[in-house]
Amino acid sequence: MNRLSKIFFTLSAIILSIPAWAQQRFPKPEFETGYVQPATSQTSPRLLFLEYLDVFVLMAALAVATWFVVKKRSRRGVMWTSVFSLLYFGFYREGCICSIGAIQNITLAIFDPAYVLPLTALLFFLLPLVVSLFYGRTFCAGVCPLGAIQDLVAFRPIELPKWLQKVLGMIPYLYLGLAILYAATRSEFLICRYDPFVGFFRFDADFQMLLLGGLFLLVGIFVARPYCRFFCPYGVLLGWMSTFSKKHMQITPSNCIQCKLCANSCPFGAIEKPVEEEGNRRTNVQRLMTYLFFIPLWIGIGGLAGSALHVPLAKFNKTVYLAEQLVVHPEFKQDPDHLDARAFMQSGKSMDTLVEEAKAIRSQFYWGGWLLGGFMGLVVGLTLVKLASHRNRKDYEPDKTNCLSCGRCMDYCPVKN
Amino acid sequence: MLVNSKLGTVNFMEGKDKLKQTDKLKLARIIAWGAAIFSLIVSVMLIANYLQLKMVDPLESPALKLLVEQLHENPNDDVLKENIRALDLLIRKAYFTSQWQIRTGAYLLIFGVLVFVLAVRYQKSLRSGLEELESIEKDPFLDKQLARKWLVFSSAGFFVLALLAGFSSSNILDQYEPETVEEKLADNQVEVIEVQPVATPEPVAAEPEVEESPDENLATETEEEHAEEAEPVAVKEEKAADPTSAEVQPAIPSKEEFRKNYPFFRGPDGDGISYKMNVPEKWDMASGDQVLWKVKVPKHGYNSPIVWGDQLFVSGADQEAREVYCYHATSGDLLWTAQANQIQGSPAKMPKVTEDTGLAAPTMATNGQAVFALFGTGDLLATDMNGKRVWAKNLGVPDNHYGHSSSLIIFKDKLIVQYDTNRGSKVMALSTVDGSTQWETTRKVNISWASPVLADVEGKPQLILTADPLVAGYDPETGKELWTVDCMMGEVGPSVGYTNGVVYAANEYAILAAIKIGATAEVIWEESEYLPEVASPLAVDGFLLIATSYGVVACYNATDGTKYWEQEYADGIYASPVYAEGKVYVMDMGGNLHVIRLGKEFELVAESALGEKAVCAPVFANGRMYLRGFDQLYCIGK
Repeated sequence: MNRLSKIFFTLSAIILSIPAWAQQRFPKPEFETGYVQPATSQTSPRLLFLEYLDVFVLMAALAVATWFVVKKRSRRGVMWTSVFSLLYFGFYREGCICSIGAIQNITLAIFDPAYVLPLTALLFFLLPLVVSLFYGRTFCAGVCPLGAIQDLVAFRPIELPKWLQKVLGMIPYLYLGLAILYAATRSEFLICRYDPFVGFFRFDADFQMLLLGGLFLLVGIFVARPYCRFFCPYGVLLGWMSTFSKKHMQITPSNCIQCKLCANSCPFGAIEKPVEEEGNRRTNVQRLMTYLFFIPLWIGIGGLAGSALHVPLAKFNKTVYLAEQLVVHPEFKQDPDHLDARAFMQSGKSMDTLVEEAKAIRSQFYWGGWLLGGFMGLVVGLTLVKLASHRNRKDYEPDKTNCLSCGRCMDYCPVKN
Repeated sequence: MLVNSKLGTVNFMEGKDKLKQTDKLKLARIIAWGAAIFSLIVSVMLIANYLQLKMVDPLESPALKLLVEQLHENPNDDVLKENIRALDLLIRKAYFTSQWQIRTGAYLLIFGVLVFVLAVRYQKSLRSGLEELESIEKDPFLDKQLARKWLVFSSAGFFVLALLAGFSSSNILDQYEPETVEEKLADNQVEVIEVQPVATPEPVAAEPEVEESPDENLATETEEEHAEEAEPVAVKEEKAADPTSAEVQPAIPSKEEFRKNYPFFRGPDGDGISYKMNVPEKWDMASGDQVLWKVKVPKHGYNSPIVWGDQLFVSGADQEAREVYCYHATSGDLLWTAQANQIQGSPAKMPKVTEDTGLAAPTMATNGQAVFALFGTGDLLATDMNGKRVWAKNLGVPDNHYGHSSSLIIFKDKLIVQYDTNRGSKVMALSTVDGSTQWETTRKVNISWASPVLADVEGKPQLILTADPLVAGYDPETGKELWTVDCMMGEVGPSVGYTNGVVYAANEYAILAAIKIGATAEVIWEESEYLPEVASPLAVDGFLLIATSYGVVACYNATDGTKYWEQEYADGIYASPVYAEGKVYVMDMGGNLHVIRLGKEFELVAESALGEKAVCAPVFANGRMYLRGFDQLYCIGK
């Protein structure tokens, strides 16, 4: 066992033993029957070979899903692969480890030299991206348990207007930026905390989170895969990779007969119609140039807004939150029921030190806010440029960035050979 | 005819298939609806159950609390005990049944949803036609135009909102201004101690305040008379400078002299072992049998009495004053009262402490020449045996969220103070003569409430302290740290037990560790079944006794940790068990003293009730036993 694995296992053991500690604080009941209290036991860390098994299953599921999408062109095959993934990565592995959350592990490893990145987290992050770079988002189609659970309930999907898709499509970028910001500042693993489906996988969650997951599934009956399309931060990265994929799935295996069935089958609005340029060419180019010109402005405004938000954003960091609480309510320091205040007092740190630490973290949020806001401005600017640009298209084609490779369009396409 | 017949057969077959198809569709639809309704009902029940479980906490049942309160009033009511146990069991059953219901309900819901999904999917697969989306009218050019417009407006709106939210948010951290010590004092705020050397006290500037009775030997003043005493004379940090007035003798009492008396918390070594003989075992408060006297202590305090000769000392404090009381051990008369006031560095405003600790939790110490009292304010007062102030100083207000409770102990001419606070930890030795610092050792531990213990380790005295995370031994002559063992955690209240070269340290939610000390220190056994929250372990004659805050007294083999017996009482135990004459005296919080013969089998010698709550350990002297309840002081004996 290498050093990384040992450290990872130690950390896992500590985390897994937390419920055992909590259990011990529960007062022992009274027994008169001679019942002997069992010794407190701690759950063993997951065996190393099982960790590697997860990676192997991921690779196998990616390969099978990709084979069904690209080679076999089988919607049924993709669907059953996703059902398997739902059972394995969802209900058996209880939603952890997952590629979406791995973004945070990677970020933390970059910004915190003390954090040792588990190899499995790295592979779960990289493998789907690599596959997407060549074959499109087959991970979303057949491997992601979050996608699978939503796909199964998409009974009566409706098509959303393009403007709404574009506006809602900004959320994943924001979520990605926030997740990176909070992981980089060692504040929070936002994606894991607000995973709406992990409660179902574990049969255990806060009521609010179960409600959120239930709402996503309810909305998912009519708006297919709402989390994947309008929230998933990993989908942003997969989309970028998929944009450059050379062997992305094709709707039709040979010549398109322009029957439109595929366009009407896609619940994600990810099929581009045949189109020819409308309007005056010169005006269109001028519009495009205008939007290009405004990109730096969007970045500036976004950066300014992000930096201005650093104070409220930093409140979600527990050190900043505690410092602010103790500044406003110094009496909390003497409150034995205020656990955070008690822990701080017992740490021997002074209030000055706490405030200094909080200010340092807030400073990170300030610069992080500039980057986050600037990134969002860039995304808005580039999306507008894309919406202002034009490319003639003769056939129905998948939008490589947003296509989830589910295979519905292939299933509907009457051209089979 | 043949053709017609065949056509008829084909039509019939088609009709049959169609019928079957229709039936299948109908069946799938019925199953889907059934599963949906089932899931909905289960969901509603689950939510209701979840909310119910949130509201019902088995530990917070009002009915149970009421019964427990009744039991406090009638601790020997066995029927009530049975009722409490039955109700407790019932509530726990209900709680865990609810948990089981939620888990089972979750499985049922998953099953229902799965059936629903499969039924709908099957239904869709039976339909021959392709299902197309509920499409909307699309014009790529106009759609893009509209999308650009919405994106510009929504993004700009979002950024503007972010700017407004950012600029309107209050920057709380920038409002923080570090306060200087002077500012804190000026604002009547509590000064908090940093680990730093204790300042050398200044000479006496005025007469110490003593409230004495007319008769110097046997005071008969009442409490009310003391209240009429003159205003105290302001003094600075002070020490005995006038050799003629000082009654403090430089001679160091021998170990035997200490053992003849009861000079510290938990006896002459602070380990819970008393060397007294002919110790009383029981009394009857109702008839007054064996109750020699009882008096109300003017001010409240959780410190145990100490006795030297015929003088008994306790301290008390409230928001107004901190006082030391000297009682005549035989008659119970209040001989004198000394006030710990006008001490330089003493906070103008009392630090916040919890009710169950108070400002006078540390037990006093005496060497027969002077009496020393420490308060939750950090005020340390030394008086002679007549209550005349010898010296006084403030050690810095201990930053302690419950209140400082570590008791004092004396080694030769050194007053040992364990000062583990939220702002740093240290142990220090002050001169018993003038309060000057003899040595001071910084400790790498968190705040604690435990007291120092003096142990004889291979013929050499050793000072043993416990806190989170270290149990440590020190040379009481120099303060040098001799050994540490990292085995404690949490808010350590119990002091250590010691016998035969083994230190016993324990704390609730941590562990009970037996540490063999010598050239090295190592844990020889550990146990976690019963752990004390406040009461210190008692180790004597190969036995180890643990008293828990939930009322269990457990006896172990001190050598290997084998449990001999356990005994449970209705009331929890905060007072440390003490040993005298082959018996262990355990005072529970209900004020019931349980006298248990030390042995491998549990044997109750006697039980008596004070009639009021108690958390102080019994004290033995002059063939009598002294007990302190919440309000009164008792002398038991013949």
